[in-house]
Amino acid sequence: MSDSEPRREAGLRRVLGMRRAASLRARLAGPWRVAVTESSMAPAIRSGDWLLVDPTTARWPRRGSIVVFREPDSDLLAIKRLAAGPGERVDLDEGHLILDSDEAWLLSDATDAELLAVGAGQPIDSRRYGPVPVELLVGRAWFRYGPLTRVGRLAGKPPVSGTRD
Amino acid sequence: MFRIPRFLAPTTTVHAHCDLPCGIYDPEQARIEAESCYKIIEKMGANDDKTFTARAIGIKEQRADLAKHHLDVLWHDYFKPEHLDKVPNLHELFWNATKQVSKVKASTDIADARKLLDLIDEIDAAWKATGGEEKTRVAGRPA
Repeated sequence: MSDSEPRREAGLRRVLGMRRAASLRARLAGPWRVAVTESSMAPAIRSGDWLLVDPTTARWPRRGSIVVFREPDSDLLAIKRLAAGPGERVDLDEGHLILDSDEAWLLSDATDAELLAVGAGQPIDSRRYGPVPVELLVGRAWFRYGPLTRVGRLAGKPPVSGTRD
Repeated sequence: MFRIPRFLAPTTTVHAHCDLPCGIYDPEQARIEAESCYKIIEKMGANDDKTFTARAIGIKEQRADLAKHHLDVLWHDYFKPEHLDKVPNLHELFWNATKQVSKVKASTDIADARKLLDLIDEIDAAWKATGGEEKTRVAGRPA
């Protein structure tokens, strides 16, 4: 540690460890409030919903949580539900896979049939781009504050109609 | 009416996204690729040149892959469960057609390519029977 560093910074580093201090600072920058567009998370979350996000989470939250993350293929900010967390098993059409200690399997709530009904195509989620590493996690969405008629905490589990393989 | 103050508006947009299909489908797309395979096999029979044969095999495999892709798109994206009422053998038809593409990919027998064209014609009939021509082309097929 060099003497020129601000003392507070040095203190933060001492308490949290260097890497965590840097990542915490980046995480505090947010986003804290997001607007959702498109409908692959219907009916739990609809296009136009305003959500509060906790960007300080550095680990994948528990299964059923709704997370905001950077999509592996496109770097686009996306929102999906955590179907399986680190070390858990994901059943696929042919066999299964065991997630790595930093990976999660993220899925859409809406079924293909529901999406077709509204004129959309197949959902883009882990079935397309595979497991998502924790570096791409942006935060956990936990509360809907708009529209005012639907204000409330986000449920931890998908509704029955949205349950997937 | 109470509104959420502007300064509390979201700072970022997140996407719960899915494919956006253009809604244009036509078995003709697969048929053209399958016709390429047919013609290539025909030309291979009339030419013994090694370089020509090597190129023909490569191109035929590419075309067969495209034909399979177009068939898959029709199967997954155009046809819907309710179409099974009009075309009860739909899944079997696509199963046979996509299997036949794999056969054409590896084969130099023109009869295999012919059979693929026939199967695509059956899919074409299914597409027409379910109103595909009116619904999934901009103004039907060009005359």
